[in-house]
Amino acid sequence: MSDEVFDRIESFVRERFLDDSEDQTLTATSPLLEWGILTSMNTAILLTYIRETFGVTVPPMSITSGNFRDLQSISTMVRDLLPAAQPA
Amino acid sequence: MTEYDYDIGIIGGGPAGSTAAAYLRKAGLTVGVFEGARFPREHVGESLVPATTPVLVETGAMPKVDAANFPKKYGAAWTSAESRNISHNGFQNLTHDFRAAEIQFNERDQSGVDRDYTFHVDRGTFDKILLDHAASLGAEVFEETRVLGVEFPEPNTALLQVRNDGGTRQVRTRMVVDASGRQTMLGNQLKFKVSDPVFNQYAVHTWFKGLDRKALAVQEGQTDYIFIHFLPLTDTWVWQIPITEDITSIGVVTQKARFQDWKDDREAFFWDCVASRPDLLDELKNAERVRDFKTEGDYSYAMKQVAGDSFVLIGDAARFVDPIFSSGVSVALNSARLACADIVDAFHANDFSHARFNRFESTLRRAVNSWYEFISIYYRLNVLFTAFVQDPRYRLDVLKMLQGDVYDDQEPAALAAMREIVTAVENDPSHLWHKYLGELKAPTAAASF
Repeated sequence: MSDEVFDRIESFVRERFLDDSEDQTLTATSPLLEWGILTSMNTAILLTYIRETFGVTVPPMSITSGNFRDLQSISTMVRDLLPAAQPA
Repeated sequence: MTEYDYDIGIIGGGPAGSTAAAYLRKAGLTVGVFEGARFPREHVGESLVPATTPVLVETGAMPKVDAANFPKKYGAAWTSAESRNISHNGFQNLTHDFRAAEIQFNERDQSGVDRDYTFHVDRGTFDKILLDHAASLGAEVFEETRVLGVEFPEPNTALLQVRNDGGTRQVRTRMVVDASGRQTMLGNQLKFKVSDPVFNQYAVHTWFKGLDRKALAVQEGQTDYIFIHFLPLTDTWVWQIPITEDITSIGVVTQKARFQDWKDDREAFFWDCVASRPDLLDELKNAERVRDFKTEGDYSYAMKQVAGDSFVLIGDAARFVDPIFSSGVSVALNSARLACADIVDAFHANDFSHARFNRFESTLRRAVNSWYEFISIYYRLNVLFTAFVQDPRYRLDVLKMLQGDVYDDQEPAALAAMREIVTAVENDPSHLWHKYLGELKAPTAAASF
Protein backbone atom coordinates (compact mmCIF):
# COMPACT_ATOMS: atom_id res chain seq x y z
CA MET A 1 0.00 0.00 0.00
CA SER A 2 1.46 3.33 -0.93
CA ASP A 3 1.22 5.63 2.05
CA GLU A 4 -0.11 8.91 0.82
CA VAL A 5 -0.60 10.28 4.30
CA PHE A 6 2.99 9.66 5.27
CA ASP A 7 4.35 11.00 1.98
CA ARG A 8 2.42 14.23 2.12
CA ILE A 9 3.27 14.94 5.74
CA GLU A 10 6.90 14.11 5.11
CA SER A 11 7.22 16.45 2.17
CA PHE A 12 5.39 19.21 4.04
CA VAL A 13 7.73 18.96 7.02
CA ARG A 14 10.72 18.77 4.71
CA GLU A 15 9.73 21.79 2.65
CA ARG A 16 8.42 24.03 5.39
CA PHE A 17 10.49 23.30 8.45
CA LEU A 18 13.89 22.00 7.35
CA ASP A 19 16.90 23.63 5.84
CA ASP A 20 19.01 21.80 3.27
CA SER A 21 21.43 20.12 5.67
CA GLU A 22 18.68 18.62 7.86
CA ASP A 23 16.80 17.65 4.73
CA GLN A 24 19.16 14.75 4.07
CA THR A 25 18.73 13.06 7.41
CA LEU A 26 14.95 13.16 7.94
CA THR A 27 13.49 9.70 8.37
CA ALA A 28 10.23 8.22 9.58
CA THR A 29 11.61 8.03 13.09
CA SER A 30 13.62 11.26 13.33
CA PRO A 31 12.69 12.74 16.73
CA LEU A 32 11.02 15.96 15.56
CA LEU A 33 10.29 17.34 19.02
CA GLU A 34 13.76 16.54 20.30
CA TRP A 35 15.33 18.14 17.28
CA GLY A 36 13.33 21.26 17.96
CA ILE A 37 11.70 21.10 14.54
CA LEU A 38 8.18 20.96 15.92
CA THR A 39 8.15 24.20 17.84
CA SER A 40 4.77 25.37 19.07
CA MET A 41 4.44 27.51 15.97
CA ASN A 42 5.37 24.70 13.61
CA THR A 43 3.03 22.31 15.40
CA ALA A 44 0.21 24.75 14.84
CA ILE A 45 1.16 25.10 11.18
CA LEU A 46 1.25 21.35 10.81
CA LEU A 47 -2.17 20.95 12.44
CA THR A 48 -3.59 23.48 10.02
CA TYR A 49 -2.00 21.61 7.12
CA ILE A 50 -3.46 18.33 8.33
CA ARG A 51 -6.91 19.85 8.63
CA GLU A 52 -6.78 21.41 5.18
CA THR A 53 -5.17 18.48 3.41
CA PHE A 54 -6.88 15.46 4.95
CA GLY A 55 -10.05 17.13 6.23
CA VAL A 56 -9.49 15.86 9.77
CA THR A 57 -9.18 17.85 12.96
CA VAL A 58 -6.71 16.46 15.45
CA PRO A 59 -8.60 16.40 18.77
CA PRO A 60 -6.91 18.59 21.38
CA MET A 61 -6.52 15.53 23.62
CA SER A 62 -4.27 13.97 21.00
CA ILE A 63 -1.70 16.75 20.82
CA THR A 64 0.78 14.78 22.87
CA SER A 65 4.48 14.23 22.52
CA GLY A 66 3.75 10.59 21.78
CA ASN A 67 1.68 11.44 18.71
CA PHE A 68 4.05 14.14 17.50
CA ARG A 69 7.30 12.32 18.21
CA ASP A 70 8.15 11.60 14.58
CA LEU A 71 6.70 11.36 11.08
CA GLN A 72 5.59 7.79 11.68
CA SER A 73 3.57 8.58 14.79
CA ILE A 74 2.02 11.65 13.18
CA SER A 75 0.98 9.66 10.11
CA THR A 76 -0.44 6.87 12.24
CA MET A 77 -2.50 9.36 14.19
CA VAL A 78 -3.82 11.01 11.02
CA ARG A 79 -4.68 7.67 9.42
CA ASP A 80 -6.62 6.70 12.54
CA LEU A 81 -8.60 9.91 12.26
CA LEU A 82 -9.54 9.39 8.62
CA PRO A 83 -12.97 7.95 7.84
CA ALA A 84 -12.91 4.18 7.25
CA ALA A 85 -10.77 3.47 4.17
CA GLN A 86 -12.43 2.85 0.82
CA PRO A 87 -11.98 -0.68 -0.54
CA ALA A 88 -9.05 -0.74 -2.94
CA MET B 1 -51.79 57.93 52.36
CA THR B 2 -48.26 58.21 50.92
CA GLU B 3 -46.52 55.61 52.93
CA TYR B 4 -43.60 55.20 50.54
CA ASP B 5 -41.46 57.88 48.94
CA TYR B 6 -40.87 55.50 46.00
CA ASP B 7 -41.84 51.95 45.26
CA ILE B 8 -38.23 51.12 44.50
CA GLY B 9 -34.98 52.79 45.60
CA ILE B 10 -31.96 52.28 43.37
CA ILE B 11 -28.42 52.74 44.65
CA GLY B 12 -26.24 53.95 41.78
CA GLY B 13 -27.00 55.52 38.40
CA GLY B 14 -24.57 53.54 36.23
CA PRO B 15 -25.81 51.24 33.45
CA ALA B 16 -27.29 48.68 35.90
CA GLY B 17 -29.17 51.25 37.96
CA SER B 18 -30.43 53.36 35.09
CA THR B 19 -31.54 50.27 33.15
CA ALA B 20 -33.42 48.94 36.17
CA ALA B 21 -35.01 52.38 36.59
CA ALA B 22 -36.13 52.35 32.95
CA TYR B 23 -37.70 48.87 33.18
CA LEU B 24 -39.49 49.70 36.41
CA ARG B 25 -40.81 53.01 35.12
CA LYS B 26 -42.09 51.33 31.99
CA ALA B 27 -44.01 48.94 34.28
CA GLY B 28 -45.50 51.90 36.13
CA LEU B 29 -43.56 51.72 39.41
CA THR B 30 -42.18 54.85 41.06
CA VAL B 31 -38.41 54.95 41.27
CA GLY B 32 -35.76 57.03 43.06
CA VAL B 33 -32.16 56.73 41.78
CA PHE B 34 -29.35 57.87 44.10
CA GLU B 35 -26.01 58.45 42.38
CA GLY B 36 -22.91 59.60 44.24
CA ALA B 37 -21.24 61.30 41.27
CA ARG B 38 -22.29 64.09 38.93
CA PHE B 39 -22.57 62.73 35.36
CA PRO B 40 -20.76 62.60 33.04
CA ARG B 41 -17.90 60.97 34.91
CA GLU B 42 -15.07 58.70 33.69
CA HIS B 43 -15.48 54.95 34.03
CA VAL B 44 -13.60 51.87 32.95
CA GLY B 45 -15.37 49.12 30.95
CA GLU B 46 -15.73 50.66 27.54
CA SER B 47 -16.38 47.76 25.21
CA LEU B 48 -19.81 46.16 24.97
CA VAL B 49 -21.01 42.76 23.76
CA PRO B 50 -24.14 42.15 21.64
CA ALA B 51 -26.19 40.85 24.58
CA THR B 52 -26.63 44.52 25.52
CA THR B 53 -28.66 45.14 22.35
CA PRO B 54 -32.00 43.51 23.30
CA VAL B 55 -31.96 45.34 26.63
CA LEU B 56 -31.24 48.75 25.11
CA VAL B 57 -34.00 48.13 22.58
CA GLU B 58 -36.48 47.08 25.28
CA THR B 59 -35.82 50.05 27.53
CA GLY B 60 -36.08 52.39 24.55
CA ALA B 61 -32.58 53.77 25.05
CA MET B 62 -31.22 52.39 21.77
CA PRO B 63 -32.18 55.32 19.49
CA LYS B 64 -30.30 57.67 21.85
CA VAL B 65 -27.28 55.37 21.96
CA ASP B 66 -27.39 55.12 18.16
CA ALA B 67 -27.50 58.90 17.86
CA ALA B 68 -24.29 59.24 19.88
CA ASN B 69 -22.29 57.68 17.01
CA PHE B 70 -20.10 55.48 19.18
CA PRO B 71 -17.63 53.34 17.22
CA LYS B 72 -19.34 50.18 16.02
CA LYS B 73 -17.86 46.94 17.29
CA TYR B 74 -18.24 44.10 14.79
CA GLY B 75 -15.95 41.61 16.42
CA ALA B 76 -12.99 40.82 18.58
CA ALA B 77 -9.43 39.74 17.86
CA TRP B 78 -6.71 38.25 19.96
CA THR B 79 -3.05 38.61 19.11
CA SER B 80 0.04 37.29 20.77
CA ALA B 81 3.69 38.05 20.84
CA GLU B 82 4.59 36.02 17.79
CA SER B 83 1.80 36.90 15.42
CA ARG B 84 3.71 39.60 13.59
CA ASN B 85 6.90 37.62 13.35
CA ILE B 86 4.94 34.98 11.54
CA SER B 87 4.07 37.32 8.73
CA HIS B 88 7.67 38.58 8.66
CA ASN B 89 8.75 35.02 8.06
CA GLY B 90 6.53 34.82 5.05
CA PHE B 91 3.66 32.88 6.61
CA GLN B 92 0.98 35.47 5.87
CA ASN B 93 -1.90 33.07 6.06
CA LEU B 94 -1.23 31.99 9.57
CA THR B 95 -3.71 34.01 11.46
CA HIS B 96 -5.25 30.61 12.03
CA ASP B 97 -2.58 29.22 14.26
CA PHE B 98 -2.70 29.07 18.02
CA ARG B 99 -1.43 32.58 18.52
CA ALA B 100 -4.19 34.61 16.99
CA ALA B 101 -7.93 34.38 16.73
CA GLU B 102 -10.75 36.59 15.67
CA ILE B 103 -14.50 36.40 15.64
CA GLN B 104 -17.23 38.42 14.02
CA PHE B 105 -20.46 38.70 15.95
CA ASN B 106 -22.69 38.17 12.91
CA GLU B 107 -21.38 34.64 12.42
CA ARG B 108 -24.04 33.54 14.88
CA ASP B 109 -27.67 34.69 15.08
CA GLN B 110 -28.60 35.89 18.52
CA SER B 111 -32.14 36.19 19.79
CA GLY B 112 -33.29 39.80 20.03
CA VAL B 113 -30.17 41.17 18.35
CA ASP B 114 -31.14 43.11 15.24
CA ARG B 115 -27.71 44.22 14.03
CA ASP B 116 -24.21 42.95 13.23
CA TYR B 117 -22.47 45.14 15.77
CA THR B 118 -22.41 46.46 19.27
CA PHE B 119 -20.46 49.49 20.49
CA HIS B 120 -17.29 50.75 22.09
CA VAL B 121 -18.28 53.65 24.29
CA ASP B 122 -16.92 56.58 26.22
CA ARG B 123 -18.57 55.57 29.47
CA GLY B 124 -18.92 59.17 30.57
CA THR B 125 -21.22 59.83 27.61
CA PHE B 126 -22.88 56.40 27.49
CA ASP B 127 -23.77 56.24 31.17
CA LYS B 128 -25.21 59.75 31.05
CA ILE B 129 -27.40 58.83 28.08
CA LEU B 130 -28.85 55.90 30.01
CA LEU B 131 -29.36 57.89 33.21
CA ASP B 132 -31.02 60.76 31.33
CA HIS B 133 -33.19 58.18 29.58
CA ALA B 134 -34.34 56.79 32.93
CA ALA B 135 -35.16 60.34 34.06
CA SER B 136 -37.10 60.96 30.83
CA LEU B 137 -39.25 57.94 31.71
CA GLY B 138 -40.07 59.50 35.06
CA ALA B 139 -37.43 58.11 37.40
CA GLU B 140 -36.38 60.69 39.98
CA VAL B 141 -32.60 60.94 39.75
CA PHE B 142 -30.51 62.45 42.55
CA GLU B 143 -26.88 62.99 41.58
CA GLU B 144 -24.13 63.77 44.09
CA THR B 145 -26.27 61.90 46.58
CA ARG B 146 -24.84 58.93 48.49
CA VAL B 147 -26.65 56.08 50.12
CA LEU B 148 -24.99 55.51 53.49
CA GLY B 149 -26.94 52.45 54.53
CA VAL B 150 -30.21 50.58 54.19
CA GLU B 151 -32.46 49.31 56.97
CA PHE B 152 -35.11 46.63 56.62
CA PRO B 153 -37.36 47.29 59.62
CA GLU B 154 -40.38 45.27 58.43
CA PRO B 155 -41.55 43.22 55.42
CA ASN B 156 -41.86 45.11 52.13
CA THR B 157 -39.84 48.03 53.43
CA ALA B 158 -36.35 49.31 52.77
CA LEU B 159 -35.28 52.57 54.39
CA LEU B 160 -32.41 54.28 52.60
CA GLN B 161 -30.22 56.67 54.51
CA VAL B 162 -29.12 59.21 51.86
CA ARG B 163 -26.81 62.18 52.08
CA ASN B 164 -26.08 65.15 49.82
CA ASP B 165 -25.00 68.76 50.30
CA GLY B 166 -28.33 69.50 51.92
CA GLY B 167 -27.77 66.93 54.66
CA THR B 168 -28.97 63.46 55.49
CA ARG B 169 -32.48 62.14 55.08
CA GLN B 170 -34.35 58.89 55.10
CA VAL B 171 -36.11 57.55 52.01
CA ARG B 172 -38.84 54.97 52.44
CA THR B 173 -39.24 52.34 49.69
CA ARG B 174 -40.76 48.89 49.24
CA MET B 175 -37.44 47.44 48.22
CA VAL B 176 -33.94 48.47 47.21
CA VAL B 177 -31.89 47.59 44.14
CA ASP B 178 -28.15 47.78 44.80
CA ALA B 179 -26.47 48.91 41.59
CA SER B 180 -23.58 50.60 43.37
CA GLY B 181 -20.99 48.92 41.17
CA ARG B 182 -17.68 47.90 42.65
CA GLN B 183 -18.45 49.90 45.77
CA THR B 184 -20.77 46.97 46.60
CA MET B 185 -22.73 49.04 49.08
CA LEU B 186 -25.18 46.40 50.33
CA GLY B 187 -22.72 43.54 49.91
CA ASN B 188 -20.42 45.32 52.35
CA GLN B 189 -23.17 46.30 54.76
CA LEU B 190 -24.65 42.79 54.87
CA LYS B 191 -21.20 41.14 54.79
CA PHE B 192 -21.99 39.07 51.71
CA LYS B 193 -18.79 39.89 49.88
CA VAL B 194 -16.09 37.26 49.41
CA SER B 195 -12.85 37.85 47.55
CA ASP B 196 -12.28 35.55 44.64
CA PRO B 197 -9.92 32.74 45.66
CA VAL B 198 -8.28 32.58 42.25
CA PHE B 199 -8.31 35.89 40.47
CA ASN B 200 -6.27 38.74 41.83
CA GLN B 201 -5.68 40.71 38.69
CA TYR B 202 -4.89 44.37 38.40
CA ALA B 203 -5.41 46.88 35.61
CA VAL B 204 -3.60 50.09 34.61
CA HIS B 205 -5.27 52.03 31.82
CA THR B 206 -5.39 55.32 29.94
CA TRP B 207 -6.39 56.92 26.63
CA PHE B 208 -4.10 57.61 23.67
CA LYS B 209 -4.69 59.98 20.79
CA GLY B 210 -3.51 59.23 17.28
CA LEU B 211 -2.66 55.55 17.78
CA ASP B 212 -2.31 53.80 14.42
CA ARG B 213 -4.83 51.02 14.99
CA LYS B 214 -4.27 49.70 11.47
CA ALA B 215 -0.68 48.87 12.26
CA LEU B 216 -1.81 46.56 15.05
CA ALA B 217 -4.67 44.85 13.26
CA VAL B 218 -4.30 41.20 12.29
CA GLN B 219 -6.24 41.77 9.12
CA GLU B 220 -7.49 44.78 7.26
CA GLY B 221 -10.95 45.98 8.13
CA GLN B 222 -10.62 45.07 11.79
CA THR B 223 -9.39 48.38 13.14
CA ASP B 224 -12.63 48.88 15.07
CA TYR B 225 -12.54 45.45 16.70
CA ILE B 226 -11.54 45.19 20.29
CA PHE B 227 -8.01 43.81 20.37
CA ILE B 228 -6.72 41.64 23.15
CA HIS B 229 -2.94 41.60 22.88
CA PHE B 230 -1.35 38.86 24.89
CA LEU B 231 2.01 39.76 26.36
CA PRO B 232 4.77 37.20 26.84
CA LEU B 233 4.29 37.58 30.60
CA THR B 234 2.20 35.10 32.55
CA ASP B 235 -1.51 36.00 32.77
CA THR B 236 -0.88 39.45 31.30
CA TRP B 237 -2.68 41.11 28.40
CA VAL B 238 -3.51 44.49 26.95
CA TRP B 239 -6.88 45.80 25.79
CA GLN B 240 -7.14 48.12 22.81
CA ILE B 241 -10.56 49.74 22.49
CA PRO B 242 -11.46 52.45 19.96
CA ILE B 243 -13.26 55.30 21.72
CA THR B 244 -13.45 57.79 18.86
CA GLU B 245 -11.90 58.13 15.43
CA ASP B 246 -8.55 59.05 17.02
CA ILE B 247 -8.83 58.14 20.72
CA THR B 248 -7.97 54.61 21.81
CA SER B 249 -8.31 53.16 25.30
CA ILE B 250 -5.34 51.01 26.30
CA GLY B 251 -5.19 48.96 29.48
CA VAL B 252 -2.73 46.44 30.89
CA VAL B 253 -4.20 43.63 32.98
CA THR B 254 -1.80 41.58 35.04
CA GLN B 255 -1.29 39.74 38.31
CA LYS B 256 -1.48 42.14 41.20
CA ALA B 257 1.80 40.84 42.61
CA ARG B 258 3.58 41.88 39.42
CA PHE B 259 2.33 45.43 39.81
CA GLN B 260 3.36 45.56 43.44
CA ASP B 261 6.92 44.78 42.35
CA TRP B 262 6.89 48.25 40.82
CA LYS B 263 6.14 49.92 44.11
CA ASP B 264 2.97 51.37 42.65
CA ASP B 265 4.74 53.37 39.91
CA ARG B 266 1.90 52.90 37.44
CA GLU B 267 3.52 54.73 34.54
CA ALA B 268 6.81 52.85 34.69
CA PHE B 269 4.92 49.61 35.13
CA PHE B 270 2.68 50.27 32.14
CA TRP B 271 5.57 51.00 29.79
CA ASP B 272 7.61 48.07 31.03
CA CYS B 273 4.76 45.66 30.34
CA VAL B 274 4.08 47.14 26.92
CA ALA B 275 7.77 46.94 26.05
CA SER B 276 7.46 43.15 26.05
CA ARG B 277 5.59 43.62 22.76
CA PRO B 278 7.90 45.85 20.70
CA ASP B 279 5.31 46.25 17.92
CA LEU B 280 2.81 47.62 20.42
CA LEU B 281 5.41 49.76 22.14
CA ASP B 282 6.42 51.40 18.84
CA GLU B 283 2.87 52.36 18.00
CA LEU B 284 2.08 53.68 21.47
CA LYS B 285 5.27 55.74 21.57
CA ASN B 286 4.09 57.47 18.42
CA ALA B 287 0.75 58.34 19.98
CA GLU B 288 -0.08 60.98 22.56
CA ARG B 289 -1.39 60.03 25.98
CA VAL B 290 -4.39 62.21 26.80
CA ARG B 291 -5.50 60.89 30.19
CA ASP B 292 -3.71 60.11 33.43
CA PHE B 293 -3.01 56.49 34.19
CA LYS B 294 -5.76 54.98 36.29
CA THR B 295 -5.68 51.71 38.17
CA GLU B 296 -8.28 49.12 39.07
CA GLY B 297 -7.69 46.40 41.64
CA ASP B 298 -9.46 44.01 44.01
CA TYR B 299 -12.26 43.68 41.52
CA SER B 300 -12.65 39.91 41.54
CA TYR B 301 -15.24 38.98 44.11
CA ALA B 302 -18.48 37.14 44.63
CA MET B 303 -21.49 37.60 46.90
CA LYS B 304 -22.87 34.95 49.21
CA GLN B 305 -26.35 36.26 48.41
CA VAL B 306 -27.61 38.39 45.52
CA ALA B 307 -31.19 38.75 46.76
CA GLY B 308 -33.14 38.71 50.00
CA ASP B 309 -36.22 40.23 51.60
CA SER B 310 -36.68 43.61 49.89
CA PHE B 311 -33.35 43.72 48.10
CA VAL B 312 -31.50 42.53 45.01
CA LEU B 313 -27.91 43.16 43.88
CA ILE B 314 -27.28 43.72 40.17
CA GLY B 315 -24.33 44.47 37.87
CA ASP B 316 -20.90 44.80 39.43
CA ALA B 317 -22.57 45.13 42.84
CA ALA B 318 -23.47 41.44 42.48
CA ARG B 319 -20.30 40.09 40.93
CA PHE B 320 -17.25 40.96 38.93
CA VAL B 321 -14.62 38.51 37.80
CA ASP B 322 -12.35 39.86 35.11
CA PRO B 323 -12.53 42.26 32.15
CA ILE B 324 -11.20 39.76 29.56
CA PHE B 325 -14.46 39.23 27.64
CA SER B 326 -15.96 42.74 27.92
CA SER B 327 -18.86 41.40 29.96
CA GLY B 328 -19.29 44.20 32.53
CA VAL B 329 -21.94 46.39 30.90
CA SER B 330 -23.77 43.34 29.55
CA VAL B 331 -24.01 41.77 33.01
CA ALA B 332 -25.20 45.13 34.34
CA LEU B 333 -27.96 45.44 31.74
CA ASN B 334 -29.06 41.82 31.76
CA SER B 335 -29.08 41.43 35.52
CA ALA B 336 -31.21 44.59 35.65
CA ARG B 337 -33.55 43.06 33.06
CA LEU B 338 -33.85 39.77 34.96
CA ALA B 339 -34.24 41.38 38.37
CA CYS B 340 -36.90 43.79 37.17
CA ALA B 341 -39.10 41.01 35.81
CA ASP B 342 -39.22 39.57 39.33
CA ILE B 343 -39.57 42.98 40.97
CA VAL B 344 -42.59 43.88 38.84
CA ASP B 345 -44.23 40.55 39.73
CA ALA B 346 -43.41 41.13 43.40
CA PHE B 347 -44.98 44.56 43.19
CA HIS B 348 -48.22 43.19 41.82
CA ALA B 349 -48.30 40.51 44.50
CA ASN B 350 -47.34 43.12 47.09
CA ASP B 351 -44.78 40.67 48.38
CA PHE B 352 -41.07 41.54 48.23
CA SER B 353 -39.81 38.54 50.18
CA HIS B 354 -36.69 36.65 49.09
CA ALA B 355 -38.54 33.82 47.33
CA ARG B 356 -39.94 36.33 44.84
CA PHE B 357 -36.47 36.74 43.34
CA ASN B 358 -35.68 33.06 42.84
CA ARG B 359 -35.94 33.26 39.08
CA PHE B 360 -33.47 36.14 38.95
CA GLU B 361 -31.11 34.35 41.32
CA SER B 362 -31.09 31.01 39.52
CA THR B 363 -30.66 32.57 36.08
CA LEU B 364 -27.86 34.81 37.25
CA ARG B 365 -26.19 31.91 39.05
CA ARG B 366 -26.16 29.80 35.89
CA ALA B 367 -24.87 32.65 33.78
CA VAL B 368 -22.18 33.59 36.27
CA ASN B 369 -21.04 29.99 36.56
CA SER B 370 -20.63 29.69 32.79
CA TRP B 371 -18.79 33.00 32.60
CA TYR B 372 -16.58 32.21 35.51
CA GLU B 373 -15.54 28.86 34.15
CA PHE B 374 -14.98 30.26 30.67
CA ILE B 375 -12.72 32.98 32.07
CA SER B 376 -10.88 30.51 34.30
CA ILE B 377 -10.20 28.20 31.37
CA TYR B 378 -9.05 31.13 29.27
CA TYR B 379 -6.40 32.05 31.80
CA ARG B 380 -5.54 28.46 32.59
CA LEU B 381 -4.91 27.34 29.02
CA ASN B 382 -4.96 30.15 26.55
CA VAL B 383 -4.11 28.02 23.51
CA LEU B 384 -7.25 26.01 24.14
CA PHE B 385 -9.42 29.07 23.74
CA THR B 386 -7.75 29.86 20.44
CA ALA B 387 -8.04 26.26 19.28
CA PHE B 388 -11.75 26.19 20.14
CA VAL B 389 -12.42 29.45 18.35
CA GLN B 390 -10.86 27.92 15.25
CA ASP B 391 -12.54 24.54 15.54
CA PRO B 392 -15.76 24.48 13.51
CA ARG B 393 -17.33 22.13 16.06
CA TYR B 394 -17.04 24.63 18.87
CA ARG B 395 -16.70 28.02 17.26
CA LEU B 396 -20.36 29.05 17.48
CA ASP B 397 -20.62 27.81 21.01
CA VAL B 398 -17.63 29.91 22.06
CA LEU B 399 -19.01 32.82 20.08
CA LYS B 400 -22.29 32.51 21.99
CA MET B 401 -20.39 33.16 25.20
CA LEU B 402 -18.42 36.00 23.62
CA GLN B 403 -21.72 37.57 22.57
CA GLY B 404 -22.72 37.52 26.23
CA ASP B 405 -25.61 35.19 25.39
CA VAL B 406 -25.45 33.15 28.59
CA TYR B 407 -28.87 33.59 30.16
CA ASP B 408 -30.72 30.65 28.66
CA ASP B 409 -31.04 27.35 30.42
CA GLN B 410 -28.16 25.28 29.17
CA GLU B 411 -24.49 25.08 29.88
CA PRO B 412 -22.60 25.81 26.65
CA ALA B 413 -21.40 22.48 25.24
CA ALA B 414 -17.93 23.87 24.60
CA LEU B 415 -17.43 24.38 28.32
CA ALA B 416 -17.73 20.69 29.12
CA ALA B 417 -15.31 19.85 26.32
CA MET B 418 -12.86 22.51 27.43
CA ARG B 419 -13.01 21.36 31.02
CA GLU B 420 -12.21 17.80 29.96
CA ILE B 421 -9.22 18.90 27.91
CA VAL B 422 -7.82 21.14 30.62
CA THR B 423 -7.92 18.22 33.03
CA ALA B 424 -6.25 15.95 30.48
CA VAL B 425 -3.50 18.50 29.80
CA GLU B 426 -2.94 19.10 33.51
CA ASN B 427 -2.55 15.37 34.07
CA ASP B 428 -0.37 14.68 31.04
CA PRO B 429 3.08 16.27 31.14
CA SER B 430 3.69 14.85 27.65
CA HIS B 431 0.87 16.92 26.19
CA LEU B 432 2.39 19.62 24.00
CA TRP B 433 0.20 22.24 25.72
CA HIS B 434 1.26 21.29 29.24
CA LYS B 435 3.94 23.96 29.31
CA TYR B 436 1.40 26.63 28.39
CA LEU B 437 -0.70 26.15 31.50
CA GLY B 438 -1.21 29.51 33.23
CA GLU B 439 -0.81 30.05 36.93
CA LEU B 440 -4.43 30.80 37.77
CA LYS B 441 -6.22 27.63 38.69
CA ALA B 442 -9.83 27.54 39.78
CA PRO B 443 -10.53 25.07 42.60
CA THR B 444 -14.22 25.47 41.89
CA ALA B 445 -16.25 27.44 39.43
CA ALA B 446 -19.43 27.40 41.47
CA ALA B 447 -21.15 30.63 42.40
CA SER B 448 -21.47 30.96 46.14
CA PHE B 449 -25.06 32.18 46.20
